[in-house]
Amino acid sequence: MKNFIFFSTLLFILFTGCIEDDFIEDFVEPEISITNAIDTLGLDTEYQFNTRFLNNTGQQESVEVVWESSDPTVISITQSGLATAHSAGTVVIAVNTVDQSISDAIEVTVGEETVEVEEPASITGSIMTTTFYDLEGTFTLSETDTGLFLDIADDYVTTSALPGFYVYLSNNRNSISGAFEIGEVTVFRGAHSYEIDGVSLNDYNFIVYYCKPFNVKVGEAVLN
Amino acid sequence: MKHKLILSIALALVLQGSLQAGGPWAKGKGKTYIKLSEWWTVFDTHYNDIGLLDPNVTTGIYNTSLYAELGLSNKFTATFNGALFSRNFMNNIRSGTTNDILIQGEALNSLGDIDIGLKYTFNQEARIPVALSVVLGLPTGIAGGGTQGNLQTGDGEFNQIVQLDFGSGFKVGNSDAYFAGYVGINNRTQGFSEEFRYGLEYGVGLANSKLWLTGKLTAVESFKNGDTGSSVTSTSIFANNSEFLALGLEANYYVTKTVGISAGFASAVRGEIIAAAPSYSVGVFLDIK
Repeated sequence: MKNFIFFSTLLFILFTGCIEDDFIEDFVEPEISITNAIDTLGLDTEYQFNTRFLNNTGQQESVEVVWESSDPTVISITQSGLATAHSAGTVVIAVNTVDQSISDAIEVTVGEETVEVEEPASITGSIMTTTFYDLEGTFTLSETDTGLFLDIADDYVTTSALPGFYVYLSNNRNSISGAFEIGEVTVFRGAHSYEIDGVSLNDYNFIVYYCKPFNVKVGEAVLN
Repeated sequence: MKHKLILSIALALVLQGSLQAGGPWAKGKGKTYIKLSEWWTVFDTHYNDIGLLDPNVTTGIYNTSLYAELGLSNKFTATFNGALFSRNFMNNIRSGTTNDILIQGEALNSLGDIDIGLKYTFNQEARIPVALSVVLGLPTGIAGGGTQGNLQTGDGEFNQIVQLDFGSGFKVGNSDAYFAGYVGINNRTQGFSEEFRYGLEYGVGLANSKLWLTGKLTAVESFKNGDTGSSVTSTSIFANNSEFLALGLEANYYVTKTVGISAGFASAVRGEIIAAAPSYSVGVFLDIK
């Protein structure tokens, strides 16, 4: 009996599972973008440019930037991004991070009135599995006056075997950290839609399908 | 003479049979077998719904279990198999870029599920004894712990298992040996699919039967007549519609006439919705003959 108690106690002491770390490859190239580009700036008018900076994991961050105009006599720009048209011509407006490593630029012409760049109202693409679970189909992400809609087409099919299966909008294809949770996957075949509040068409670069309980990505779509 | 030899081996297996946790043999009135063991598996891949391997966050399950057989008569044996302490954990998920924790790991510690059973051996002294068991699986573990509800120390449902065991003892050279098998049906509740279970094992006693080596085949086939996986938040080894076919090895060594130690290993060679990693066990047992 003493032996039994001794070995039993030893079991409790020796075998305990500890929480350790799993690492995911979540590096993405940092990017800065002008989010409200214009084609034409009206003579003697001002326009406030805005930017979005995504860091090396796809998280949006506020960073100090440097604005430049290729010809300040045509369009000048302040370091807060306020542009003023002074004379006819075409310039390149550029925004850089302070270390000049990341930049974005657009061409702007001085004209009679300010004209914003016409962005497409929708994005189409394909959803693809990144595992051996079934997941495929085409989609349209569209912005209307009533909001943003993700319409999944009739060719969509996925598995019903996964618990806690969710769809996200993310700026990192390998992570849902900082992602927008659209909702749980409850349709496993055929057309269906998600209505998305508080998000604009170009806010995210990827659709990510993710199994929460297993903490693993199941599939993705690229939003070009 | 041959019949007597087989009978003597069978009787020996009655005493040793509990080494392989069951078989068709009755324990015998007033005789007891108790085994305290630690069973664990840690896995970062699982068999998906079509039997292929997919990744998951590293998940571990550690069960400190008590298995006991009590001979109520020469035909009836009561069994208890419960995880007295069960620990389920999931690792932190860290950014490989920033080293930040993106999803905090968690652990759940609690009592696990408990099986209680009653076995009736029809023909203890026959060449191939057969026994019928009824096992009730009590959902004493936690089926949805942690902030995501994805940690489990039990499946959260009441199992009712009816099982037919059979086996036989024989000699291999000068060593005692046996084979045993079972088939069973697990009727499940809470939307879980019913299961067909079967297994085979072969054991041989060495060093005057102080050391028993056992090879095992264990399988579960789901009828897939319950809810789909999307309806429940089950993970790891408790998911609905799980299937597997596992092969294992176990060694049991009698340190004294009544106390022994054991070590085992098993791994699924085929599965669906089940962890894809070896499981290990070590234990001590008390065999009161």
